[in-house]
Amino acid sequence: MRVSIVPTLKVLRPAAMIVLVALIGMVFGYYANAMLFPGTSPAQPINFSHRIHAGDYEIPCLYCHVQARNSTAAGVPSLSKCMGCHAEVATERPQIRELTAYWETGEPLRWVKVHDLPDFVHFTHKRHVAAGIECQTCHGPVETMDVVSREAPLEMGLCLECHRENEVVHGDDCWTCHK
Amino acid sequence: MPNVDRRQFLKLVGAGGVGAGAGFMLAESARHPVEHLIPYPVPPEEYSAGIATWYNSVCGMCPAGCGITVRTREGRPKKIEGNPLHPVNEGRLCALGQAGLQVLYNPDRLTGPLQQLGERGSSGFVDATWRGGLDAAAERIDAARNAGNRVVFLSGGVRGHLAALLETFTRELGSGQFLQYEFAHPHALHAANRRLFGIDRLPYYDIANADYVLSFGADFLNNWLSPVNYSLGFGRSRQEGEHRGRFVQVEARMSLSGAAADEWIPARPGTEGVLALALAQQLVANAYAGDDADAWRAALQDYTPERSADITDVPVETIEHLASALVDAGHALAIGGGSAAAHTNGADTLLAVNALNYLLGNVGRRGGMVFNPDPAIGASDTEPASYRAMEQLAADARAGAISVLVVSNANPLFNLPAAADFAGAIAAIPTVISLSSFMDETTALADLVLPSHTYLESWGDDAPDPGVGFTVGAVSQPVVSPLFDTRATGDIVLELGRRLGLGEAMPWPSFEECVKDGWRQLHAAGGEAAGDFDTFWRDVLRSGVWGTDTRAESGVAVPDEVIADIAVPEPQFAGSESDYPFVLQPYLSTGFYDGRGANLPWMQELPDPMTSVVYGSWLEMNPETARELGLRDGDLARVTSGNGAVEVPVVVYPAIRPDVVAMPIGQGHAGLGRYAENRGANPIELLAPSVDTRSGALATGATRVSVAGTGRRAEAVKIGGESRELGRNIIQRTGTSGSAGHSARLNSIPIVVESS
Ligand code: SF4
Repeated sequence: MRVSIVPTLKVLRPAAMIVLVALIGMVFGYYANAMLFPGTSPAQPINFSHRIHAGDYEIPCLYCHVQARNSTAAGVPSLSKCMGCHAEVATERPQIRELTAYWETGEPLRWVKVHDLPDFVHFTHKRHVAAGIECQTCHGPVETMDVVSREAPLEMGLCLECHRENEVVHGDDCWTCHK
Repeated sequence: MPNVDRRQFLKLVGAGGVGAGAGFMLAESARHPVEHLIPYPVPPEEYSAGIATWYNSVCGMCPAGCGITVRTREGRPKKIEGNPLHPVNEGRLCALGQAGLQVLYNPDRLTGPLQQLGERGSSGFVDATWRGGLDAAAERIDAARNAGNRVVFLSGGVRGHLAALLETFTRELGSGQFLQYEFAHPHALHAANRRLFGIDRLPYYDIANADYVLSFGADFLNNWLSPVNYSLGFGRSRQEGEHRGRFVQVEARMSLSGAAADEWIPARPGTEGVLALALAQQLVANAYAGDDADAWRAALQDYTPERSADITDVPVETIEHLASALVDAGHALAIGGGSAAAHTNGADTLLAVNALNYLLGNVGRRGGMVFNPDPAIGASDTEPASYRAMEQLAADARAGAISVLVVSNANPLFNLPAAADFAGAIAAIPTVISLSSFMDETTALADLVLPSHTYLESWGDDAPDPGVGFTVGAVSQPVVSPLFDTRATGDIVLELGRRLGLGEAMPWPSFEECVKDGWRQLHAAGGEAAGDFDTFWRDVLRSGVWGTDTRAESGVAVPDEVIADIAVPEPQFAGSESDYPFVLQPYLSTGFYDGRGANLPWMQELPDPMTSVVYGSWLEMNPETARELGLRDGDLARVTSGNGAVEVPVVVYPAIRPDVVAMPIGQGHAGLGRYAENRGANPIELLAPSVDTRSGALATGATRVSVAGTGRRAEAVKIGGESRELGRNIIQRTGTSGSAGHSARLNSIPIVVESS
């Protein structure tokens, strides 16, 4: 007796087509999402401009992000730090009015994180600042941005590439970052 | 290209659409969740994002009072370690101490004041305000005081200025009474020291410098008195001396300490004191040369090795070789407590053990027992309440003599035997106020709950007891701002005091000030040399502890009439031997201590160090006993005493006398939150209300039980595989004494090999 699978395939062809088209749709949908909503420059509670502060007025990054030098986190300036200048400076601007309102009610600002690493990555600013890495290497030319957006992909490849280029000791050991 | 008809076309469009949607959602789900950066409006002084701050404080999980150092980040405690500067634990910490974080972050914590609107014990608790709650409490107390009725403040063990404050509060009330109840308080040891040496303090055991330790029932490496300190000393005795220190443990059921011993001697329960006196007799006969040798000889003449061997079930040869080992050792030290003291003759047993120390000449000496000086701070005259005192309290309550009961950090409903009927006593008290942080069994019966902070959120201070042989004071400071709408116990009492017009005796605006004021006096006592107070206080807060090692050798004398009186009476057990063939030995569990740790998931998951059981309760019995009863590991057994019954699975345990069964204390909660409730059984419920005659402490090992299978199985959850050696040669024996290694003894116990 001869057994052929051809008749079965013939029957299955329409079904296979459907699966194929669905898969193509899926790939399309995935990238459409990533392209339409990249999420690299989320809206912030106040339209704070790095271009004005770091670009035009050339305030050093570490003036506000004080802890980058000695901590894992770079730190976001407290309201009291903002008000240190803005109690006097540009008080009439609408954004500064908003800021002052936060200050007066004592309500904290909820900035949205632009540069976020997953919790299983142990990253410390301290080491990178100590090694003389420019902030812009990972954060992009922040001093030109009115709205901060994430330019570097912040994925493992980026870390490894840089660690290897600079011949970091133990730079490509798993435990250097995943501990 | 195949033919595509209209239907087929629509199907394809549909499939494409669904696929695209799925892909879109897939990308959405792979996205990082939105995270926020929320800077402080005004950052606290010591705060830097991403940098840990460490605070030194005091562990509040058991009465040992170890020093802790807490790592906090962004204002949140993340990890508790031992404070290396604290002489009690020198940087080490036990498992329960580590789990303090789960007290702080426990999801079952009470988040604010509650008022019972329904029946007592019902779920009629509604939220209340602090102002309303404190007003109501003050009003009730005031009414009771004016009518001359008694107001009882029942607290768990407290020390330092909180103890002093509670004492002042109840004294100033006029009709107040301050009671501390601590389940595992060493009443018998206090009584023994008082009688033998006239000193009512706990000694410091210098285990580190002892080269021979003989412990009677004290599980000092697990949770007896100051386990972290003893473990440190034990490690040093084993490893740092000229030669490895030897250690012998006498007890009916092998404890964690017993497992670390070179020799384990399962004496008949309640006769440990007789063994001690037999050894004492040998010492007097062969080595002791003090002036009072004759008095001792006369007092001990009955305790011959032969007679003692009969009583204790310890062979004459063992008694003789122990005695000669004691004589030969450079610094021999005898420790007594725990299961050996849990009998009706507990204090007499410990008296015998201390007599042994006296005859060895090690009292007040290096490598011996050194009495601690009086505490430098918050000296309190209130001795923790014994079981007898609690019975009296319950009787008074039932007679209607008590109007208000304030319970703070104590859970008598769990820690007293059912025979005490404390629930009945509470029912007769018109007003019950609880200051507990959790809805435990006692708090569930309260009319008003004013929840207090956990120890990690409160100010306080401590003078560890037992100390380390010299004066030590420690400060505990809040390591986090209060998570909920709770208040420190001290602050609640100060508030009540103000409302009751006691402000003059308790003038402090907050308990923090009260503590600080106390330390100001301590500092002033140091005179000029002590420098200015603010610097001193900052230093104390930074190091968490204060004191200098002034340990000095000293001697003691024992009055002749006490010597003449020395004897260990026969222990009394509740229940006849024919109806209740086994002596029940409940023991403090490693993770839960006296039950307070049962709401901590880490402790629930912590395997018992001897049986490797996690979660529930179990009954340990000798393989021989199990075979006689026809029980196997994992059979559900019914344990019955004259006072109640519980059902627990059997764990066959080779290192226990065949006439003894043992159960860990800690599980079997009806309250205390989701992790503790309805798990296992509480052996305290079974206990007969027998007390140690001298100290009045509950004789926890003086109840007989019967054990019967239920025909059901309920295997205890064990993480270990096979607990027996099965010829794998895992236990390597070292040393020369082939006669008495405990593994030799274990191997001689017949073990049932189940064939299935
Ligand atoms: S022994 Fe007691 S005080 Fe010390 S760490 Fe353990 S629980 Fe805390």
